[in-house]
Amino acid sequence: MKVTYNWLKDFLNIKISPEVLAKELTMAGLEVVSLEEAQGDFIFEIEITSNRPDWLSVLGVAREVAAITKAKLKIADIQEPKIATQDILPARISILDQQGCSFYSLRVIRDVKVGPSPSWLKKRLELLGCRSVNNVVDITNYCLFALGHPLHAFDLDKLNLATLIVRRAKALEKITTIDNQQKLLSPEILVIADRDRPVAIAGVMGGKDTEVTFGTRNIALESAVFNPVLVRRGRQKLGLQSESAYRFERGVDLENAKNASLMAQKLICELAHGKPSGKKSLGASKPLSASVKLDVTYVNRVLGTKITTLQIKQILSRLGFIYKIQTKHILLVKSPTFRQDIKSSIDLVEEIARIYGYGEIPQTLPAVKPSRKVLDKQDVVFEIKNILSSLGLNEAITYSLVDRQLLARFEISNPSGLIEILNPLSKEQEILRPTLLPSLVRCLAYNLNQQQEYVNIFEVANIFLSNRQVTHEELSLGIALCGAKSSLVQQGLIKEEVTLLHLKGILERLFNKLGIPGYDFKNKGVGQISVVVGQQEVGTMLDLSNHVLAAFDIKNKQVILAQISLDKVFAFIDVQKKFLEISRYPAITRDISFIVQEDVSVKDLIRAIEEQGLPLLYLAKVVDYYQGKQIPAGFRGLTISCVYRAADRTLTEEELAPKHNFICALLEEKFGIKPR
Amino acid sequence: MDIDVIQTQIEEDLAKTTSVAALEEVRVKYLGRKGLVAELTSAISGLAVEQRGTVGKQVNALKNKLLELLTEKEKTLKPQSSVLKKNNLDLGMPGIAQELGHIHPITQIINEICSIFTRMGFSVVQGPEIETEYNNFTGLNIPLEHPSRDAFDTFYLKDYSKLLLRSHTSPVQVRVMKTQKPPLASVVPGRVYRPDAVDASHLFMFHQIEGFLVDEQVRFSDLKGILELFAQSVFGQDIKMRFRPHFFPFTEPSVEVDISCIICKGKGCSVCGKKGWLEILGAGMIHPNVFKHVGYAPNKYTGFAFGMGVERIAMLKYGINDIRLFFENDLRFLKQF
Repeated sequence: MKVTYNWLKDFLNIKISPEVLAKELTMAGLEVVSLEEAQGDFIFEIEITSNRPDWLSVLGVAREVAAITKAKLKIADIQEPKIATQDILPARISILDQQGCSFYSLRVIRDVKVGPSPSWLKKRLELLGCRSVNNVVDITNYCLFALGHPLHAFDLDKLNLATLIVRRAKALEKITTIDNQQKLLSPEILVIADRDRPVAIAGVMGGKDTEVTFGTRNIALESAVFNPVLVRRGRQKLGLQSESAYRFERGVDLENAKNASLMAQKLICELAHGKPSGKKSLGASKPLSASVKLDVTYVNRVLGTKITTLQIKQILSRLGFIYKIQTKHILLVKSPTFRQDIKSSIDLVEEIARIYGYGEIPQTLPAVKPSRKVLDKQDVVFEIKNILSSLGLNEAITYSLVDRQLLARFEISNPSGLIEILNPLSKEQEILRPTLLPSLVRCLAYNLNQQQEYVNIFEVANIFLSNRQVTHEELSLGIALCGAKSSLVQQGLIKEEVTLLHLKGILERLFNKLGIPGYDFKNKGVGQISVVVGQQEVGTMLDLSNHVLAAFDIKNKQVILAQISLDKVFAFIDVQKKFLEISRYPAITRDISFIVQEDVSVKDLIRAIEEQGLPLLYLAKVVDYYQGKQIPAGFRGLTISCVYRAADRTLTEEELAPKHNFICALLEEKFGIKPR
Repeated sequence: MDIDVIQTQIEEDLAKTTSVAALEEVRVKYLGRKGLVAELTSAISGLAVEQRGTVGKQVNALKNKLLELLTEKEKTLKPQSSVLKKNNLDLGMPGIAQELGHIHPITQIINEICSIFTRMGFSVVQGPEIETEYNNFTGLNIPLEHPSRDAFDTFYLKDYSKLLLRSHTSPVQVRVMKTQKPPLASVVPGRVYRPDAVDASHLFMFHQIEGFLVDEQVRFSDLKGILELFAQSVFGQDIKMRFRPHFFPFTEPSVEVDISCIICKGKGCSVCGKKGWLEILGAGMIHPNVFKHVGYAPNKYTGFAFGMGVERIAMLKYGINDIRLFFENDLRFLKQF
């Protein structure tokens, strides 16, 4: 909202410069977002918080300036004019919707000469960014900005039977607004109607048919108090915005409604030669103002200050509150009518703090009572991110909302399980994603487009699932790898295309470090591997098909993905470490090099070795594998290293040989390995 | 020259020696072909026969002593000289090591902020991203049909009545207070969603950190103290702060907190919009109505709450000028952090 320095000076003497005033207002909660010099005046643009509709006017800001600078407000009392009987023009009003309108008033002014506004009026409005229309409309706007109460002037002669009725719109009724938009109305919307048709959307905007034009002779000037919620609904429903609705939605003051009407009538008579010709009003006659009990010790208890009772009384007076002393510490505080926001003592505490100055409140440190620290999800997620980044992966963060098309590219389209957004701004915000992978693949594709040769990213985020109308968030880990990792080693540059084994390696390191026991990887289908922990599938690994890759414009590359449900894995995580005694006796290592048919699983071979080798076998692992010219088709070459060790003595060759030979023989017999 | 004099003299000379070259000069002066020791040695032949033996021994002892002193000094001047192998490594070659991965800057800022508060005794809690209308609005004293809701435009779920994507992390306050009794000291990081048009400083998804402290004697002054400690930890000890009155439905008194612009130090620049101040967070004393909603006695407990946008803090701290960069995940961006 805008006010000008000179306009403020209509209401009080200001002894500080516009710059200082801007700072003072900001520190009192009326944030001045810009201060601009124009036409010999200064324009303050102020951000007014939604709890303070009383600040939405020059008068409102002037009241605050008075409170801050301890100046006195100058408000001229306007006398109600006498109306000669022969001047009276008939007009009728009625309120059919009491809930929608607590007060409705009309002033009839006859024989006005509608014309251009005087230049001082034009200038004041233009400085606030308001276009001049004609003197009558400009005066209603002037009063709106000066006092903050919206008014509307009708052309009395265009109102059928000079009647105005406050009622709900009927279904299918229409109105053309003063900005030339035709709007279809409905019963949620509060309107002002004459005998036949709606002539204004209550509190929002007037109708074209009854607006004041240069031909208007007699006017009906409306000043009313409309229900904030109804005005808001009507405005939202019709997609309209107006200075008037902005103020009604936030709440207006009955007292001010009366003052604004009187002020507008006076100006219309002065500037447009009108004659007061009658007034009507219905509804509440006296505004309610609440009294609040304020305990002075409560103020200091909440703020951590030592503000004296005297200081509190002075601040309250400066803000227009009236107080009675009940006991030593308790004041009964009555708000001025424009302070409908004051409902309880905490509201007064804020007012006292604002004027006392937030800067004057001391800084202290509270006695925080720490609670017991337990290992929780965040700690584990933090650990997971650390492990993955130490394995060289980069953390990505992608949007939880995705477009339908992205999922379709991933061949996900089950509409029943998807959670959709009711009010997306664009199609990128249609769906809460049921998987992290499409977003990660899109991110891979983006980086490949930026000439990255190797992309390795992960994300930890919720995925959103729904089961029989119950939504469910599942914290998940997504990993996406693509391209050839190049590294410089002693021998020079090596490039290595990522494969599922690289991803498996990452997950193994992760699970081991997190102390997850007995995890396993199982083939599920072409290019799909199930990751199993404790007999339960916790996630999958994927080698993305060319078909899907093409949809993401990824060519000649392999994309390797994994998604793990962390919520499922959490139960198995055990980060407690237990020290195992390190053997002081040397180990003996025996390698078995052999060829074996391709379909024999290494997992089975190792398991067989382990079963036979215990307790002397300490470790059996693949240390080399090869396929190529020397190996017959359908076979592969493997070297498994067996490490034997005893905890209490040095193993001897004699002791070990029969055991190891037995294992070799068993492998030959059971799996058909051929030693090389 | 006298043997004792030579020994004191060399000790003085060595004390002054600071380079290998200078040490060589000292060596030549005493042990060189025409050095002082050589001079003494040659003088022996001119002595009486019975003296030659003793003097010869003394000169030898001196020579050994000098050698010892020189070697010792050499060690202090080039300590590694005898430890490392000589090789002809081209130190211009890149070192060999595995590449490090990178944690997203948003995560890093969240971790940094959470750890500042956990050091003060706060605990980290989280809540769901799909929220009820009650927790997101009503429980936080935000009336459903009121302009104060305009600041919290919200995504609603289709086919699920009264469920929405939380537009701030504050609903976690309601969740925690409904299940636990004071004293409470928590920080809540997480994703939040608002249907905002996308530009360099607005997105429909971003991160917030919420914090709140509830106990029997929590004061506004405590909020000021905690937030100053926080801001100085994140932005450095020299920043200035100001506390401006503001309005949030769930706190009263409410405050917006500015720090002096970290770019121009308060003089006014494009980052702070020539104001010299940067808004970093909103806060206030928890509104008694919020306590009523969760079943706390409003006259028994007081508390404060604060909330900040993580992207904003990260942008200020790292000098990032477009919020969209955080979610583009360009490796050239991620690898800078």
